[in-house]
Amino acid sequence: MNRYGFRHAARMERIKLSSVRSTWWLAIAAVLSMAAAGAGVGLGYRSHTPVATAAQILNNSLGGAIVAQLLLGALGVLMVTGEYGSGMIRSTLAAVPRRRIVLAAKAAVCGGAALGVGQAASFAGYLSGQLAIRGTAIPAASLGDPAILRAVVLTGVYLGVTALIGVGIGTIVRHSGAAIGTLFGLMFVPMIVAGLFGESGIQVGRFVPLLMLLNSIAVTTPVPGLFNGWISALLMCGYAAVAILSGGVLLRHRDA
Amino acid sequence: MIELRELTKRYGDRVAVDGLSVRVKPGVVTGFLGPNGSGKSTTMRMILGLDAPDHGEALIGGVRYPDLSWPLKTVGALLDAGAFHPGRSARAHLTALAASNDIPGSRVEQVLRIVGLSDAATRRAGTYSLGMRQRLGVAVALLGDPGVLLLDEPVNGLDPEGIRWIRDLLRALAAEGRTVFVSSHLIAEMALTADRLVVIGRGRLLAETTVAELAAGDDSLEDAFFRLTSGTTDYRGVGAS
Repeated sequence: MNRYGFRHAARMERIKLSSVRSTWWLAIAAVLSMAAAGAGVGLGYRSHTPVATAAQILNNSLGGAIVAQLLLGALGVLMVTGEYGSGMIRSTLAAVPRRRIVLAAKAAVCGGAALGVGQAASFAGYLSGQLAIRGTAIPAASLGDPAILRAVVLTGVYLGVTALIGVGIGTIVRHSGAAIGTLFGLMFVPMIVAGLFGESGIQVGRFVPLLMLLNSIAVTTPVPGLFNGWISALLMCGYAAVAILSGGVLLRHRDA
Repeated sequence: MIELRELTKRYGDRVAVDGLSVRVKPGVVTGFLGPNGSGKSTTMRMILGLDAPDHGEALIGGVRYPDLSWPLKTVGALLDAGAFHPGRSARAHLTALAASNDIPGSRVEQVLRIVGLSDAATRRAGTYSLGMRQRLGVAVALLGDPGVLLLDEPVNGLDPEGIRWIRDLLRALAAEGRTVFVSSHLIAEMALTADRLVVIGRGRLLAETTVAELAAGDDSLEDAFFRLTSGTTDYRGVGAS
């Protein structure tokens, strides 16, 4: 090996990501928020009449993803803006001057970590929901059911991809507060706007991240009018690609 | 060897660095002097490829910084103290940067010892005093055992002992045949540390000289510096009355 490359940059990013406390707090909080939401939903339905269906429990017990996506999105944002805020970015770019390699390494390391945490969080939501309804008449939702497994896995994917969108927005905006604000805005404002159009809002709503999460990705059967879970997840990946590629163009041309 | 060729940088209609052409030779400490705002830091950032010049280029051993194969093994830089994440320990900070240029972990421990931070290496760098931050910055610069060192105001915030430590370190590094380029606005400090001087004002080269030559014509080095840089600052105070 006679020149530094992606592999070296990725090792640097992995060490950087694991050596700050905020990473661990955000990851733990993401898993706990989904576990708590799952348990809360399960407990709430225990004495509910009529008896809840397996799908009802599953759909609702993944609802903690609303919080988890913000935490993992912030994780992605901070991976970049944390460096601008502290001046670390100049050390990073002096060590790896080819900036596309830096961004690719950040995306790969952050995406990988967030995907792992996202899956852990999603399964924690599912499991705590199931544990909380044990001993009741509510039918268990088995992961052997492809629709159930798909919903849980795709929710984890959605969470991982949210972190990648965070990396992209962080690279574009560079300021932690502004970037996290932008990310939260992009998550919630389109949903509110789509809601204003009532029934016809679904034509727009099926492209909106949070609506896709709640009505297509984290549910056994998508709401009519929305894309199926896989397509919604792919759309999210597309948004992440646009955010990161836009960030890459700006990163190359701006002074650090 | 650092070579600047007509290096120029504009911010809007303000010219920060204006056609700067300089050669910085190995084996001696070269001081980079100028009043605040004269373009020293901008020049340093352009050498490191952090800011893109509007015209001209900066070469290290004939190569542009972004084209270096192992940047940290070629050029060590101390920019502003605090180019680190405050929540990360000094050891993790150095280990991460070492990984990017395939530098072994044993070198991390070595530079921690050189700068005297071994005992504080697990502490979060945000808890460091200004002097310790400078030492961490020096550790980063030395990490790849580079032949070229760029230090932007390294004595800022150091106590007298630290200032002497930096001075001896820089002179020792130059004596080993390395290129050492140190910016400062403190003429007295540069007189003790540097052999050669590059003086700029408003981004333009004012003099490329030695300490002895600069001091020869005037009462003191300080007078010579003020004569050279007069009229090149955007600010001027008057005596209190």
